[in-house]
Formats: sequence, structure tokens, C-alpha cells
Amino acid sequence: MILLDRVTKNYNKRGTALKSISLHVEPKEFVIIVGPSGAGKSTLLKLLTREEKPTSGKIIVGGIDYETLKDRKIPLLRRKIGVVFQDFKLLANKNVYENVSFALEVVGMGNKEIARTIPKVLDIVGLTGKELSYPSELSGGERQRVAIARAIARQPKILIADEPTGNLDADHAWDVIRVLEKINKYGTTVILTTHNQEIVNKLKRRVITIRDGQVVSDKAGGKYK
Amino acid sequence: MGRRLTGLRRVTVSGMKNFFRNSWLTVAATAVMVVSLTIIASAVVLNVTAKNAISELSKNLQISIYLKDSASQNMINQLTQDLKSNKAVASVTFVSKSDAQKQFDQTFQSDPTLVAGLQILGTNTLPASLEVSLTDLGQINQVGAVPNEAKYSGIVDSVTIGKTDVKKTIARAASAQHFITVASVVMAIIFGLVSMLIIFNTIRMAIFTRADEIKIMKLIGATPTFIRGPFLVEASMYGLIAGLISSGIVLAGIFSLGEKISNQAEFTKTYHYFTSAKIIAAMIIGLIVVGIVVGVFSSLLAMKKHLRLKTW
Repeated sequence: MILLDRVTKNYNKRGTALKSISLHVEPKEFVIIVGPSGAGKSTLLKLLTREEKPTSGKIIVGGIDYETLKDRKIPLLRRKIGVVFQDFKLLANKNVYENVSFALEVVGMGNKEIARTIPKVLDIVGLTGKELSYPSELSGGERQRVAIARAIARQPKILIADEPTGNLDADHAWDVIRVLEKINKYGTTVILTTHNQEIVNKLKRRVITIRDGQVVSDKAGGKYK
Repeated sequence: MGRRLTGLRRVTVSGMKNFFRNSWLTVAATAVMVVSLTIIASAVVLNVTAKNAISELSKNLQISIYLKDSASQNMINQLTQDLKSNKAVASVTFVSKSDAQKQFDQTFQSDPTLVAGLQILGTNTLPASLEVSLTDLGQINQVGAVPNEAKYSGIVDSVTIGKTDVKKTIARAASAQHFITVASVVMAIIFGLVSMLIIFNTIRMAIFTRADEIKIMKLIGATPTFIRGPFLVEASMYGLIAGLISSGIVLAGIFSLGEKISNQAEFTKTYHYFTSAKIIAAMIIGLIVVGIVVGVFSSLLAMKKHLRLKTW
């Protein structure tokens, strides 16, 4: 599903963010990426969503080789990848239904299809009944679940969650993680970055540790030390 | 096809929402564009009016060559040919003594005393003449000099070049037309630039206001067209509304002012021209199109600078 072959990313001012990283993620896998701040986790995710281009190396996601990917095809790639951020990035002036609907409108889905899809995804993230609430009326955990609903509504093959529990207390963090596990069970590949040791250790999934732009360990059922 | 239509509808609705969202900026941007378009349209109307008035007045500007009774037909023909050889001469009409008498009687039929007075003389004292009309008024003195050449002294009695007051009016109209053209081009450029600057700024503000939305749109796979679309719709709305308002202003001006002066011969044709349905429609459509082009161009510049769709 995801293949990185000796990928390096240099920034002119900040130096090297990633040094010849090679990775392979199978379809339907649940992978946790850990590492200290500035280790290169965010750069890695930006490379996957094609917000950044690698300085060298090869990236293939869902059969798409980024090297030959034309700029005008990037929107089509993004539709295959759902992204969730630490700061949710919800639109404050839209309610839950509209925030999720927005993601479907952008890709050209018809209103009837949207009306059929949204109740299903809100059910998956456990937000049925909150359709008309605005982000300011929701808890942090609920907001993150709206963001997940928005990311999965288009049924992407891959879901990238960049520190989704970073701003949440323990209970809400687990709510979010359980939703991610559920989505993974339905067949979506999940890439999760986190600092939360407890979550990593309890999940017992594949853990990739990045330090100073390099993969220092990659273990199934791994732990975060 | 269905998806495209849905997309188009969403882009249009979103653009219209943006248009009404920031009412002060919208009013300012539209108002400046109204001023620019009104100046452009007024300049065109005034130019056409001045041009038509000049050509209408020019019809009155003729060279009359009065011939001696003893003039031979040969020499008259030669003079006619000589005059016609100048490109500025539109026509040369021979008015015989009896034609002159008929014209005189017709002109003064309301003044029987004058007609009777002439009849007392017994014979027709009016001279035959050649009436020369011109296409280029700049050539009038040159053409007027032809019958004064020595070889025609035997047949030409006198030469009258136009009427002085008509000539002065034409000169004034021509200089006014020149002034209108220069002034309106300068004003249209200044206001056009101001208008573009304001729309540029309005769209820039809209881009900044919606920065989060745009970022999310990019990340969830919106196409550049879907992101740009609403801004183009918003800018087109400025053009559409400003075009409608300015054509309303200009047409109101034409109908109210034009009616007062339309009974003057030099303006009648122009008034009918500008009040015909075809020209009114062309003016409205023209102003809307110019408005939309200015709006879209400014918003494209703003998007190129601030939307950064290249770094996708």
C-alpha cells in the first residue's frame, strides 16, 4: 500500500529532515510512528500527502508513483488518503453535518448521496445526534471524531492521523483511538503518529521509531520507550 | 456530467455567498467599478455624439461658386472636372439661373414682398452657381482656391466658403471631441486601475479569510478549479452588477438630456441611434462584459499571488 525507498528530504534552512528512509506498509495495516519532536514524523506524513516533495528517493502509495505524478492529478491522490490533524481543522462556521458534507461536496458527490453517507460515518465515529452542533459546542474528543468522520466519508484507502490525541485528555484520546481501530477493522490502512506512550504500548501494533530523520526501530507489537 | 453540474452549482452558490458576506468591501468595489464603467460608456456616447454632430454640421459647409452670366458651358465643365479631381470633394452640383430662381422663390415664399420686389426688376438677376460639398473639411481653403485661379476669372463672379459661424462651431466641436477622447482615456485608465486594485484587494481579503477552508479543501482533494471558482464568481458579480448600474446611469442620461436636444438637427440622428433597442442591448451587454473581464482579471492576479495553488 505504501512504499518508501531511500527517501531523503532536505530543507535549505532547516537542514535534513529525513535521511534515506525506507518503509513498506501493507494494505489494512495499523502502523504507529513515534519519535521525539523534530524527528521527522510530520515531514514523513507531508511527503505521503504530497504536500512536500522528497529531495531524493522513491514514494509509491496505492500504486501511484509520486515521481511521475502530475500536479493536476494530486487532488485525485488526496481523495484516496484521509488526513486527521492534532488541531482538528474544522470549519467553525459550519455544523457537524456541514463539516462532513463539505468534504464530500468538494469531490463532487451529489446531495442525495451525501445525505445517505453522513449518517453512516457519524455512526462509525459515534456522533449520531450531533449533526446540528457547531465545533464550539463539542468536546475535544468529539471534534476530533468529526475530523475523522470528514476524513473517512470519502472512503479513503489510507487514513493518516497526525497526533490526533495530542490535544485530548486520556478518556477522549481512547475514544479517538477506538474509532481508528474500528476504521482499520473495516479495511482502511491507518498511519498514526503519537507521543502517547500508554496508547502505543496498549495497542500492540507495529511501531516505527524515527529519530534524527532515520528509522531506528521497526517492530510488530512494538513498544514506545 | 451530473457531478460537473453539481460542482458548478456549488461553486456559484459559494461565490455568491462570498459576495454578500463582506458588504462594505462589496459596495466599495462595485461603486468604483460603476464609476469606471460609466466614464468609459459616457466617453463613447459623447464621442459618437460629437462625431455625428460634426458630420451633420459639415453638410452645411459648402463652397458656392457664383458664375457670370457670360460663362461658357465648356469652361464650367472644365472647372467642375478640376474640382472633382480633388479627393476631398464629395460632389459638385450645377445650379442654373432658373433653378436659383426656384430655390429663391421657395425659400422666401413666406415673404411675398421680397418675391414681388424681385419680379419688379423684370429679369432673373440671380446667378448660376456650382455648389461644392466636401468630405474633408481640412481641405476647404485649398478647394476654395481652385475657382480663384486666373484661368477661371472669366467665368467666376465670386466664391463663398461656408458660413463663418458654422465653421467656428465645427472647430469647437472637433476640439471638444479631441478633449473628450483624451480626458476619457486618461480617466478610464485611472479609474480602471483603481477598480482593479480594489477588486484585487477584496479577493485577497476573501482568500485570507478563507485560508483554513482553502487549506482543508486542498488536503481533501478539491481541484484547483473548485477552489478558484467561487472567487471568479464573486469577481464576476462585481462586473455584472456594476455593468447593470452603470448602463442604467448612462441610459438615464441619454434619455433625459438627449430628449432636450434631440430636436436640434445635429443631434436627432445620434439620439435615435442611442435609443434604439439594439444599441441599448449592446451597451448593457458591453458594459457587463467589460466589468466581468476587469473583475475576473483582477481576481486571477490576486489568486496567482495569494492562493499558491502551485505548491499544491
